[in-house]
Amino acid sequence: MTLPDWIEPVARYMLEEGLANTLKVSAVALVGSALIGITLGTLLTIHFLPTRALIRLYIEVWRGLPILVTIFIIFFALPSVSDRLRFDSLTAAAIGLILWGSAQVAEATRGAVQSIPREQHEAAAGLGFGWVGRHVFVILPQALRRLLPPIVGLLVNIIQNTTIAQVIGAPELLETAERQVERLTFEGEQHAIEIYGAVMVVFFIISFPLTRLAAYLERRLI
Amino acid sequence: MTELLFTLAFLGEVWSFVEENADELAAGLRRTLTVSAIAIAGAFAIGLVLGAARAYRIPVVSQLAAIYVEIIRNTPILVQIFMLYFALPQVGIRLEAFTVAWLSVMIWGGAFNTENFRAGFEAVPARYREAGLALGFRGAGTFLNVTLPIGGRIALPSSINTYISVVKNTSLMYVIAYPELTTTALQINALTLETVETFTVLAVTYLVIVWTLSASIRLLEGHLALPEDAR
Repeated sequence: MTLPDWIEPVARYMLEEGLANTLKVSAVALVGSALIGITLGTLLTIHFLPTRALIRLYIEVWRGLPILVTIFIIFFALPSVSDRLRFDSLTAAAIGLILWGSAQVAEATRGAVQSIPREQHEAAAGLGFGWVGRHVFVILPQALRRLLPPIVGLLVNIIQNTTIAQVIGAPELLETAERQVERLTFEGEQHAIEIYGAVMVVFFIISFPLTRLAAYLERRLI
Repeated sequence: MTELLFTLAFLGEVWSFVEENADELAAGLRRTLTVSAIAIAGAFAIGLVLGAARAYRIPVVSQLAAIYVEIIRNTPILVQIFMLYFALPQVGIRLEAFTVAWLSVMIWGGAFNTENFRAGFEAVPARYREAGLALGFRGAGTFLNVTLPIGGRIALPSSINTYISVVKNTSLMYVIAYPELTTTALQINALTLETVETFTVLAVTYLVIVWTLSASIRLLEGHLALPEDAR
Protein backbone atom coordinates (compact mmCIF):
# COMPACT_ATOMS: atom_id res chain seq x y z
CA MET A 1 0.00 0.00 0.00
CA THR A 2 1.38 3.39 -0.91
CA LEU A 3 0.36 6.67 0.66
CA PRO A 4 -1.08 9.44 -1.54
CA ASP A 5 1.57 11.84 -2.83
CA TRP A 6 0.38 14.91 -0.91
CA ILE A 7 1.00 13.35 2.53
CA GLU A 8 4.80 13.13 2.66
CA PRO A 9 5.74 16.86 2.28
CA VAL A 10 2.83 17.88 4.56
CA ALA A 11 3.82 15.45 7.31
CA ARG A 12 7.50 16.35 7.01
CA TYR A 13 6.82 20.10 7.35
CA MET A 14 4.35 19.66 10.23
CA LEU A 15 6.68 17.41 12.22
CA GLU A 16 10.06 19.02 11.48
CA GLU A 17 8.89 22.64 11.76
CA GLY A 18 5.57 22.57 13.64
CA LEU A 19 5.97 19.82 16.21
CA ALA A 20 9.58 20.85 16.88
CA ASN A 21 8.46 24.41 17.71
CA THR A 22 5.51 23.15 19.77
CA LEU A 23 7.86 21.02 21.89
CA LYS A 24 10.43 23.83 22.17
CA VAL A 25 7.87 26.39 23.37
CA SER A 26 6.35 23.79 25.73
CA ALA A 27 9.74 22.99 27.29
CA VAL A 28 10.66 26.66 27.79
CA ALA A 29 7.21 27.43 29.20
CA LEU A 30 7.29 24.46 31.58
CA VAL A 31 10.74 25.29 32.99
CA GLY A 32 9.93 29.02 33.26
CA SER A 33 6.55 28.35 34.90
CA ALA A 34 8.06 25.92 37.41
CA LEU A 35 10.99 28.19 38.41
CA ILE A 36 8.94 31.39 38.75
CA GLY A 37 5.90 29.63 40.18
CA ILE A 38 7.78 27.72 42.89
CA THR A 39 9.66 30.89 43.91
CA LEU A 40 6.51 33.03 44.08
CA GLY A 41 4.51 30.30 45.80
CA THR A 42 7.17 29.89 48.50
CA LEU A 43 7.38 33.67 49.04
CA LEU A 44 3.59 33.70 49.35
CA THR A 45 3.87 31.72 52.60
CA ILE A 46 5.73 34.63 54.29
CA HIS A 47 3.38 36.65 56.47
CA PHE A 48 4.36 40.05 55.07
CA LEU A 49 1.39 41.89 53.67
CA PRO A 50 2.93 43.89 50.74
CA THR A 51 4.67 40.85 49.14
CA ARG A 52 1.60 38.69 49.67
CA ALA A 53 -0.67 41.31 48.11
CA LEU A 54 1.64 41.70 45.08
CA ILE A 55 2.01 37.95 44.48
CA ARG A 56 -1.75 37.44 44.97
CA LEU A 57 -2.40 40.12 42.34
CA TYR A 58 0.08 38.44 39.94
CA ILE A 59 -1.63 35.07 40.41
CA GLU A 60 -5.19 36.35 40.06
CA VAL A 61 -4.44 38.51 37.00
CA TRP A 62 -2.57 35.91 34.93
CA ARG A 63 -4.90 33.08 35.96
CA GLY A 64 -7.94 35.25 35.30
CA LEU A 65 -7.09 36.47 31.79
CA PRO A 66 -7.70 34.22 28.77
CA ILE A 67 -4.22 33.14 27.57
CA LEU A 68 -5.08 34.52 24.13
CA VAL A 69 -5.59 38.00 25.64
CA THR A 70 -2.28 37.73 27.56
CA ILE A 71 -0.46 36.76 24.36
CA PHE A 72 -2.14 39.63 22.46
CA ILE A 73 -1.03 42.07 25.18
CA ILE A 74 2.57 40.85 24.89
CA PHE A 75 2.59 40.74 21.10
CA PHE A 76 0.56 43.87 20.22
CA ALA A 77 0.44 46.18 23.26
CA LEU A 78 3.97 45.96 24.71
CA PRO A 79 5.74 47.15 21.50
CA SER A 80 3.58 50.30 21.56
CA VAL A 81 4.81 51.02 25.11
CA SER A 82 8.51 50.56 24.32
CA ASP A 83 10.36 49.38 21.23
CA ARG A 84 12.60 47.21 23.41
CA LEU A 85 9.53 45.10 24.30
CA ARG A 86 9.14 43.74 20.78
CA PHE A 87 9.19 39.92 20.67
CA ASP A 88 8.87 37.41 17.85
CA SER A 89 5.70 35.32 17.88
CA LEU A 90 7.22 32.15 19.42
CA THR A 91 8.84 34.14 22.25
CA ALA A 92 5.65 36.12 22.89
CA ALA A 93 3.71 32.86 23.15
CA ALA A 94 6.28 31.36 25.54
CA ILE A 95 6.13 34.47 27.77
CA GLY A 96 2.32 34.37 27.80
CA LEU A 97 2.33 30.69 28.75
CA ILE A 98 4.93 31.32 31.48
CA LEU A 99 2.82 34.11 33.05
CA TRP A 100 -0.22 31.82 33.09
CA GLY A 101 1.67 28.65 34.08
CA SER A 102 3.68 30.29 36.86
CA ALA A 103 0.44 31.60 38.40
CA GLN A 104 -0.89 28.02 38.46
CA VAL A 105 2.36 26.65 39.95
CA ALA A 106 2.54 29.44 42.56
CA GLU A 107 -0.92 28.58 43.87
CA ALA A 108 -0.08 24.85 44.02
CA THR A 109 3.29 25.55 45.70
CA ARG A 110 1.70 27.64 48.43
CA GLY A 111 -0.52 24.71 49.37
CA ALA A 112 2.34 22.20 49.14
CA VAL A 113 4.70 24.27 51.29
CA GLN A 114 2.02 24.89 53.90
CA SER A 115 1.28 21.15 54.05
CA ILE A 116 4.79 20.45 55.41
CA PRO A 117 4.54 20.13 59.23
CA ARG A 118 5.87 22.99 61.39
CA GLU A 119 8.38 20.64 63.06
CA GLN A 120 10.29 20.44 59.76
CA HIS A 121 10.74 24.23 59.77
CA GLU A 122 11.75 24.20 63.43
CA ALA A 123 14.18 21.30 63.01
CA ALA A 124 15.82 22.99 60.02
CA ALA A 125 16.05 26.27 61.90
CA GLY A 126 17.55 24.35 64.84
CA LEU A 127 20.25 23.02 62.51
CA GLY A 128 21.23 26.60 61.75
CA PHE A 129 19.58 27.05 58.33
CA GLY A 130 18.38 30.54 57.48
CA TRP A 131 15.03 31.13 55.71
CA VAL A 132 16.46 30.49 52.23
CA GLY A 133 18.49 27.40 53.20
CA ARG A 134 15.57 26.00 55.19
CA HIS A 135 13.27 26.20 52.17
CA VAL A 136 15.75 25.16 49.49
CA PHE A 137 17.24 22.17 51.35
CA VAL A 138 14.46 20.99 53.66
CA ILE A 139 10.96 22.22 52.85
CA LEU A 140 10.86 22.37 49.03
CA PRO A 141 12.33 18.88 48.43
CA GLN A 142 9.46 17.49 50.50
CA ALA A 143 6.87 19.82 48.95
CA LEU A 144 8.01 18.75 45.48
CA ARG A 145 6.38 15.33 45.96
CA ARG A 146 3.01 17.00 46.32
CA LEU A 147 3.76 19.36 43.46
CA LEU A 148 4.58 16.65 40.94
CA PRO A 149 1.00 15.67 39.95
CA PRO A 150 -0.17 19.28 39.35
CA ILE A 151 3.03 20.03 37.40
CA VAL A 152 2.48 17.02 35.10
CA GLY A 153 -1.12 18.22 34.68
CA LEU A 154 0.21 21.69 33.89
CA LEU A 155 2.54 20.24 31.24
CA VAL A 156 -0.47 18.74 29.44
CA ASN A 157 -2.24 22.11 29.53
CA ILE A 158 0.88 23.98 28.37
CA ILE A 159 1.39 21.61 25.41
CA GLN A 160 -2.25 22.01 24.37
CA ASN A 161 -2.23 25.78 24.89
CA THR A 162 0.82 26.27 22.65
CA THR A 163 -1.72 26.06 19.81
CA ILE A 164 -2.95 29.52 20.88
CA ALA A 165 0.33 30.83 19.42
CA GLN A 166 -1.19 29.99 16.02
CA VAL A 167 -3.33 33.12 16.37
CA ILE A 168 -0.24 35.39 16.20
CA GLY A 169 1.24 33.29 13.39
CA ALA A 170 3.87 31.38 15.38
CA PRO A 171 4.90 28.31 13.34
CA GLU A 172 3.80 25.66 15.87
CA LEU A 173 1.97 22.45 14.91
CA LEU A 174 -1.48 23.97 14.28
CA GLU A 175 -0.08 26.90 12.27
CA THR A 176 2.02 24.60 10.06
CA ALA A 177 -1.10 22.44 9.57
CA GLU A 178 -3.13 25.48 8.53
CA ARG A 179 -0.44 26.58 6.06
CA GLN A 180 -0.48 23.13 4.45
CA VAL A 181 -4.29 23.03 4.30
CA GLU A 182 -4.27 26.42 2.57
CA ARG A 183 -1.49 25.44 0.17
CA LEU A 184 -3.37 22.28 -0.85
CA THR A 185 -6.66 24.20 -1.17
CA PHE A 186 -4.85 26.67 -3.44
CA GLU A 187 -3.70 23.72 -5.55
CA GLY A 188 -7.30 22.47 -5.70
CA GLU A 189 -7.18 19.68 -3.10
CA GLN A 190 -9.28 19.47 0.08
CA HIS A 191 -7.54 17.75 2.99
CA ALA A 192 -8.58 19.80 6.03
CA ILE A 193 -10.22 16.89 7.88
CA GLU A 194 -7.21 14.59 7.44
CA ILE A 195 -4.67 17.26 8.39
CA TYR A 196 -6.50 18.74 11.42
CA GLY A 197 -7.43 15.18 12.40
CA ALA A 198 -3.74 14.30 12.35
CA VAL A 199 -3.02 17.31 14.59
CA MET A 200 -5.60 15.99 17.07
CA VAL A 201 -4.03 12.52 16.96
CA VAL A 202 -0.53 13.90 17.63
CA PHE A 203 -1.75 15.93 20.63
CA PHE A 204 -3.71 12.93 21.91
CA ILE A 205 -0.67 10.65 21.69
CA ILE A 206 1.37 13.16 23.71
CA SER A 207 -1.34 14.16 26.23
CA PHE A 208 -3.06 10.87 27.04
CA PRO A 209 -0.07 9.13 28.71
CA LEU A 210 0.69 12.35 30.62
CA THR A 211 -2.87 12.70 32.00
CA ARG A 212 -2.70 9.03 33.04
CA LEU A 213 0.66 9.70 34.69
CA ALA A 214 -0.73 12.73 36.55
CA ALA A 215 -3.69 10.68 37.84
CA TYR A 216 -1.36 7.83 38.86
CA LEU A 217 1.03 10.18 40.69
CA GLU A 218 -1.89 11.79 42.49
CA ARG A 219 -3.00 8.39 43.80
CA ARG A 220 0.53 7.28 44.67
CA LEU A 221 2.02 10.39 46.25
CA ILE A 222 -0.82 11.90 48.27
CA MET B 1 2.37 63.91 42.68
CA THR B 2 3.36 63.76 39.02
CA GLU B 3 2.72 60.02 39.10
CA LEU B 4 -0.77 60.61 40.41
CA LEU B 5 -1.46 63.12 37.65
CA PHE B 6 -0.08 60.70 35.08
CA THR B 7 -2.37 57.94 36.36
CA LEU B 8 -5.39 60.24 36.33
CA ALA B 9 -4.61 61.36 32.79
CA PHE B 10 -4.35 57.71 31.67
CA LEU B 11 -7.65 56.83 33.38
CA GLY B 12 -9.20 59.82 31.57
CA GLU B 13 -7.95 58.52 28.24
CA VAL B 14 -9.28 55.02 28.98
CA TRP B 15 -12.64 56.49 29.94
CA SER B 16 -12.96 58.54 26.76
CA PHE B 17 -11.92 55.43 24.79
CA VAL B 18 -14.76 53.49 26.43
CA GLU B 19 -17.23 56.32 25.74
CA GLU B 20 -16.24 56.57 22.07
CA ASN B 21 -16.49 52.80 21.49
CA ALA B 22 -19.25 52.01 23.98
CA ASP B 23 -21.70 50.56 21.44
CA GLU B 24 -19.30 48.09 19.85
CA LEU B 25 -17.77 47.06 23.18
CA ALA B 26 -21.22 46.46 24.68
CA ALA B 27 -22.26 44.40 21.64
CA GLY B 28 -19.08 42.32 21.92
CA LEU B 29 -19.55 41.79 25.65
CA ARG B 30 -23.18 40.80 25.05
CA ARG B 31 -22.09 38.16 22.50
CA THR B 32 -19.45 36.81 24.89
CA LEU B 33 -22.04 36.51 27.65
CA THR B 34 -24.69 34.98 25.35
CA VAL B 35 -22.33 32.34 23.96
CA SER B 36 -21.06 31.60 27.49
CA ALA B 37 -24.58 31.28 28.90
CA ILE B 38 -25.69 28.80 26.20
CA ALA B 39 -22.47 26.80 26.55
CA ILE B 40 -22.65 26.72 30.36
CA ALA B 41 -26.28 25.55 30.34
CA GLY B 42 -25.37 22.82 27.82
CA ALA B 43 -22.22 21.81 29.69
CA PHE B 44 -24.28 21.54 32.89
CA ALA B 45 -26.79 19.20 31.23
CA ILE B 46 -24.06 17.09 29.57
CA GLY B 47 -22.09 16.87 32.81
CA LEU B 48 -25.15 15.87 34.84
CA VAL B 49 -26.31 13.11 32.47
CA LEU B 50 -22.93 11.68 31.43
CA GLY B 51 -21.46 12.15 34.92
CA ALA B 52 -24.31 10.03 36.32
CA ALA B 53 -23.83 7.46 33.53
CA ARG B 54 -20.13 7.24 34.41
CA ALA B 55 -20.69 7.05 38.16
CA TYR B 56 -23.36 4.33 37.83
CA ARG B 57 -21.36 2.52 35.10
CA ILE B 58 -24.38 2.33 32.78
CA PRO B 59 -23.25 -0.05 30.02
CA VAL B 60 -22.35 1.42 26.59
CA VAL B 61 -23.26 5.01 27.62
CA SER B 62 -20.51 4.99 30.24
CA GLN B 63 -17.86 3.74 27.80
CA LEU B 64 -18.92 6.19 25.07
CA ALA B 65 -18.84 9.03 27.62
CA ALA B 66 -15.32 7.98 28.67
CA ILE B 67 -14.12 8.10 25.04
CA TYR B 68 -15.75 11.54 24.56
CA VAL B 69 -14.11 12.86 27.74
CA GLU B 70 -10.65 11.55 26.85
CA ILE B 71 -10.72 12.86 23.27
CA ILE B 72 -11.82 16.35 24.32
CA ARG B 73 -9.51 16.62 27.33
CA ASN B 74 -6.43 15.38 25.47
CA THR B 75 -6.69 17.56 22.37
CA PRO B 76 -6.43 21.39 22.24
CA ILE B 77 -9.77 23.24 22.11
CA LEU B 78 -8.39 25.47 19.35
CA VAL B 79 -7.92 22.41 17.10
CA GLN B 80 -11.48 21.33 17.95
CA ILE B 81 -12.70 24.77 16.81
CA PHE B 82 -10.66 24.43 13.58
CA MET B 83 -12.25 21.00 13.00
CA LEU B 84 -15.79 22.33 13.39
CA TYR B 85 -15.33 25.52 11.39
CA PHE B 86 -12.61 24.87 8.80
CA ALA B 87 -12.66 21.06 8.28
CA LEU B 88 -16.34 20.06 8.41
CA PRO B 89 -17.27 22.05 5.25
CA GLN B 90 -15.10 19.51 3.36
CA VAL B 91 -17.88 16.94 3.98
CA GLY B 92 -20.64 19.47 3.33
CA ILE B 93 -21.34 20.50 6.93
CA ARG B 94 -21.21 24.30 7.09
CA LEU B 95 -21.80 25.77 10.55
CA GLU B 96 -22.26 29.47 11.24
CA ALA B 97 -19.61 31.21 13.35
CA PHE B 98 -22.18 31.73 16.13
CA THR B 99 -23.05 28.00 16.15
CA VAL B 100 -19.39 26.97 16.30
CA ALA B 101 -18.84 29.55 19.06
CA TRP B 102 -21.32 28.07 21.54
CA LEU B 103 -21.08 24.47 20.31
CA SER B 104 -17.29 24.18 20.62
CA VAL B 105 -17.09 25.53 24.19
CA MET B 106 -20.19 23.52 25.15
CA ILE B 107 -18.62 20.24 23.94
CA TRP B 108 -15.38 21.19 25.72
CA GLY B 109 -17.06 22.24 28.98
CA GLY B 110 -19.35 19.19 28.88
CA ALA B 111 -16.35 16.83 28.85
CA PHE B 112 -14.74 18.49 31.87
CA ASN B 113 -18.10 18.69 33.64
CA THR B 114 -18.71 14.97 33.10
CA GLU B 115 -15.58 14.35 35.15
CA ASN B 116 -16.62 16.95 37.78
CA PHE B 117 -20.04 15.35 38.27
CA ARG B 118 -18.70 11.79 38.12
CA ALA B 119 -16.27 12.60 40.92
CA GLY B 120 -19.04 14.36 42.86
CA PHE B 121 -21.49 11.46 42.59
CA GLU B 122 -18.81 8.89 43.43
CA ALA B 123 -17.84 10.89 46.53
CA VAL B 124 -21.33 10.44 48.04
CA PRO B 125 -20.85 7.86 50.84
CA ALA B 126 -22.53 4.51 50.05
CA ARG B 127 -24.29 4.56 53.43
CA TYR B 128 -26.31 7.63 52.34
CA ARG B 129 -27.59 5.74 49.31
CA GLU B 130 -28.34 2.71 51.43
CA ALA B 131 -30.27 4.97 53.80
CA GLY B 132 -32.28 6.28 50.83
CA LEU B 133 -33.09 2.73 49.72
CA ALA B 134 -34.02 1.77 53.29
CA LEU B 135 -36.47 4.69 53.34
CA GLY B 136 -38.27 3.04 50.41
CA PHE B 137 -36.87 5.13 47.52
CA ARG B 138 -36.23 3.26 44.30
CA GLY B 139 -32.99 3.72 42.31
CA ALA B 140 -34.15 6.89 40.52
CA GLY B 141 -35.66 8.31 43.70
CA THR B 142 -32.43 7.70 45.61
CA PHE B 143 -30.46 9.44 42.85
CA LEU B 144 -32.75 12.48 42.73
CA ASN B 145 -33.22 12.86 46.49
CA VAL B 146 -29.86 11.73 47.86
CA THR B 147 -27.01 11.39 45.34
CA LEU B 148 -27.84 14.45 43.23
CA PRO B 149 -28.21 17.04 46.02
CA ILE B 150 -25.14 15.82 47.91
CA GLY B 151 -22.92 14.92 44.91
CA GLY B 152 -23.98 18.09 43.09
CA ARG B 153 -22.77 20.16 46.03
CA ILE B 154 -19.44 18.29 46.05
CA ALA B 155 -19.07 18.92 42.31
CA LEU B 156 -20.04 22.61 42.51
CA PRO B 157 -16.62 24.29 42.98
CA SER B 158 -14.92 22.28 40.22
CA SER B 159 -17.85 22.76 37.84
CA ILE B 160 -17.83 26.54 38.41
CA ASN B 161 -14.12 26.47 37.58
CA THR B 162 -15.05 24.73 34.33
CA TYR B 163 -17.65 27.46 33.59
CA ILE B 164 -14.98 30.12 34.22
CA SER B 165 -12.74 28.38 31.66
CA VAL B 166 -15.69 28.24 29.25
CA VAL B 167 -16.05 32.04 29.46
CA LYS B 168 -12.30 32.52 28.94
CA ASN B 169 -12.27 30.10 26.00
CA THR B 170 -14.93 32.10 24.13
CA SER B 171 -12.05 34.52 23.39
CA LEU B 172 -10.70 31.86 20.99
CA MET B 173 -13.63 32.64 18.65
CA TYR B 174 -11.29 35.34 17.38
CA VAL B 175 -9.94 32.67 14.97
CA ILE B 176 -13.35 32.25 13.33
CA ALA B 177 -13.95 36.03 13.35
CA TYR B 178 -17.05 35.75 15.54
CA PRO B 179 -17.37 39.30 16.94
CA GLU B 180 -17.36 38.55 20.68
CA LEU B 181 -15.43 40.73 23.12
CA THR B 182 -11.85 39.90 22.05
CA THR B 183 -12.55 40.05 18.30
CA THR B 184 -14.42 43.34 18.77
CA ALA B 185 -11.57 44.84 20.81
CA LEU B 186 -9.01 43.89 18.16
CA GLN B 187 -11.19 45.39 15.43
CA ILE B 188 -11.45 48.64 17.40
CA ASN B 189 -7.68 48.55 17.93
CA ALA B 190 -7.07 48.18 14.19
CA LEU B 191 -9.20 51.28 13.51
CA THR B 192 -8.18 53.57 16.38
CA LEU B 193 -4.60 52.35 17.05
CA GLU B 194 -5.26 53.14 20.73
CA THR B 195 -3.53 49.89 21.67
CA VAL B 196 -2.86 50.46 25.37
CA GLU B 197 -6.41 51.69 26.01
CA THR B 198 -7.93 48.79 24.05
CA PHE B 199 -6.06 46.09 25.93
CA THR B 200 -6.58 47.77 29.30
CA VAL B 201 -10.35 47.73 28.76
CA LEU B 202 -10.29 44.18 27.35
CA ALA B 203 -8.22 42.79 30.26
CA VAL B 204 -10.21 44.59 32.96
CA THR B 205 -13.51 43.34 31.50
CA TYR B 206 -12.37 39.70 31.54
CA LEU B 207 -10.95 40.04 35.05
CA VAL B 208 -14.24 41.50 36.34
CA ILE B 209 -16.22 38.58 34.85
CA VAL B 210 -13.77 35.90 36.04
CA TRP B 211 -13.28 37.37 39.52
CA THR B 212 -17.05 37.74 39.99
CA LEU B 213 -17.56 34.08 39.05
CA SER B 214 -14.81 32.83 41.35
CA ALA B 215 -16.15 34.95 44.22
CA SER B 216 -19.51 33.26 43.63
CA ILE B 217 -17.88 29.88 44.39
CA ARG B 218 -17.09 31.03 47.93
CA LEU B 219 -20.55 32.59 48.42
CA LEU B 220 -22.39 29.51 47.10
CA GLU B 221 -20.20 27.13 49.07
CA GLY B 222 -21.17 28.78 52.36
CA HIS B 223 -24.80 28.99 51.30
CA LEU B 224 -25.12 25.39 50.08
CA ALA B 225 -22.92 23.70 52.71
CA LEU B 226 -24.42 20.50 54.11
CA PRO B 227 -25.55 20.84 57.75
CA GLU B 228 -22.81 18.50 58.97
CA ASP B 229 -20.08 20.45 57.14
CA ALA B 230 -21.39 23.83 58.28
CA ARG B 231 -21.21 22.83 61.93
